[in-house]
Amino acid sequence: MSTPVIEVEKLNLKYGDFHAVKDLSFEVRPGELYALLGTNGAGKTSALETIEGHREPTSGTVRVFGHSPRDRKAVRPRMGIMLQESGFSPDLTVGESVRLIGQLTGRTDDVGRVLDVVGLTRKAGTLVSQLSGGEKRRLDFATAVYGTPELIFLDEPTTGLDIQSRDALWESVDRLRENGSTIVLTTHYLEEAQQRADRIGLMHQGVFRRQGTVGDLTRALPSHIRFAFPDGPALPLPSSADGNTVVIETFELQKDLHLLLGWAQDNGVELRDLSAGPTSLDDVFRSIEA
Amino acid sequence: MFAIARSELIQMFRNRLVLVTSFIMPVAVSAFFIYRHEAFATIGSLGYIAAIVMFTVGAFGLYTTAVTTLASRRQNLFLKRLRSTAADDRSILGGLLLPVTVLSVVQITAILTVFGAVSGKPGSIALLAPAAVAIVAMMVGLALATAGLTNSPEHAQVTTLPVSLGVIAVASWVGISGTEELTLLKRLLPGGAATEMVVDAWNGSASVILLAPTLAWVVVAVALAARLFRWEPRR
Repeated sequence: MSTPVIEVEKLNLKYGDFHAVKDLSFEVRPGELYALLGTNGAGKTSALETIEGHREPTSGTVRVFGHSPRDRKAVRPRMGIMLQESGFSPDLTVGESVRLIGQLTGRTDDVGRVLDVVGLTRKAGTLVSQLSGGEKRRLDFATAVYGTPELIFLDEPTTGLDIQSRDALWESVDRLRENGSTIVLTTHYLEEAQQRADRIGLMHQGVFRRQGTVGDLTRALPSHIRFAFPDGPALPLPSSADGNTVVIETFELQKDLHLLLGWAQDNGVELRDLSAGPTSLDDVFRSIEA
Repeated sequence: MFAIARSELIQMFRNRLVLVTSFIMPVAVSAFFIYRHEAFATIGSLGYIAAIVMFTVGAFGLYTTAVTTLASRRQNLFLKRLRSTAADDRSILGGLLLPVTVLSVVQITAILTVFGAVSGKPGSIALLAPAAVAIVAMMVGLALATAGLTNSPEHAQVTTLPVSLGVIAVASWVGISGTEELTLLKRLLPGGAATEMVVDAWNGSASVILLAPTLAWVVVAVALAARLFRWEPRR
């Protein structure tokens, strides 16, 4: 197996008495899209900023490309960082900002090409102070992908973006992945992680509560079958009620759904508003907070 | 470093408020002193005017602007953005402070050249130059330290007052009353020995030893800055 791009071992981060990250260990392999998810205040931004090299760990080690992430000269030319908050000077234009930050990464690229990727070509001469929130996110993404780095950190990349910009951003990420880039993502939109992440680390109160593929995480919880409360004979499966909706929890979705549909057919019962599906990440999230 | 300095220069000229406080204000004050130099020379000496020019540019142009710039770049997370690149901390700070520092040196040189043309050549340019460099270095060091205690550009209007008014007061006191009395105290105060050196160098010749207290203040300021300076806003 190839050497990991990121290695985190027993990472601890404390602010005074507050223990933000506890004994976090994980790896990110080349070409992976790894999503670091968590409830508010779970410590994911603290963890991410330590891996990016913005913070020094209280204990434990972090290796990026085999180096300390604090060794900027060694690691930064190979990685792009999209910060959670903007951090651009309001008195510089979009083009000037990309040129400055791009140049400082140590990579080479064409400012025009990068602006084209994020759809800001026509804003090249506009001052950052005049950009909308979504445009600032795209500018941030532009500086992260300048020079097509091997590793890209995306800290809540789509917050504040409209649906078209969001789709465009994910399309660019897909293209970067085709070129072999490794992506580390945090997001509040669990659907994005569910659709795109190869693996997910789920943090709660500073520790990993679950780690694995989307399938690993969702299979740990039962699937759900829902339908409007029907008239007729007793149901063939144990169920619970959620208002007027019947909810059946099952680890054998296909078998139980077949049983239920057969029962409905035989008894001439109409199952209105029928839906059935695997657990979503949302449910996994709710279960860790419970 | 030079890429950051270039962008900093662009920002300085786009932000008129900064340009007025850092550039126009010290020039206006200095112009007044040169215009009334005969009156000020009777209070102190011509050398006293040279010292006041250096400290006006150093305190209100260089020091105040540097503190305001650093606080502003930290507040809008521009410092964090720069630290997300391969640039190291020294070149980031160097790039941010280079334009305002160079501008101040150019200002001091230009104003004193005009002053020399109006009132007669200074006694020793070779001694004035190191004194000016020491003053600039001390003000940059103090700016780095003060920036650590300053949360926002607005806050800088308050946090810069003690040092900027303090060094002007010391320069005026030493420049007008000389150092025959309270010699040690006057020389140890920040800007005191530098003022004495500038006054003496302009009026004739000065002792190089007078550089020592100013350079000591540079060391103190840099040590304070290393403890106090923060790269990210407090949460």
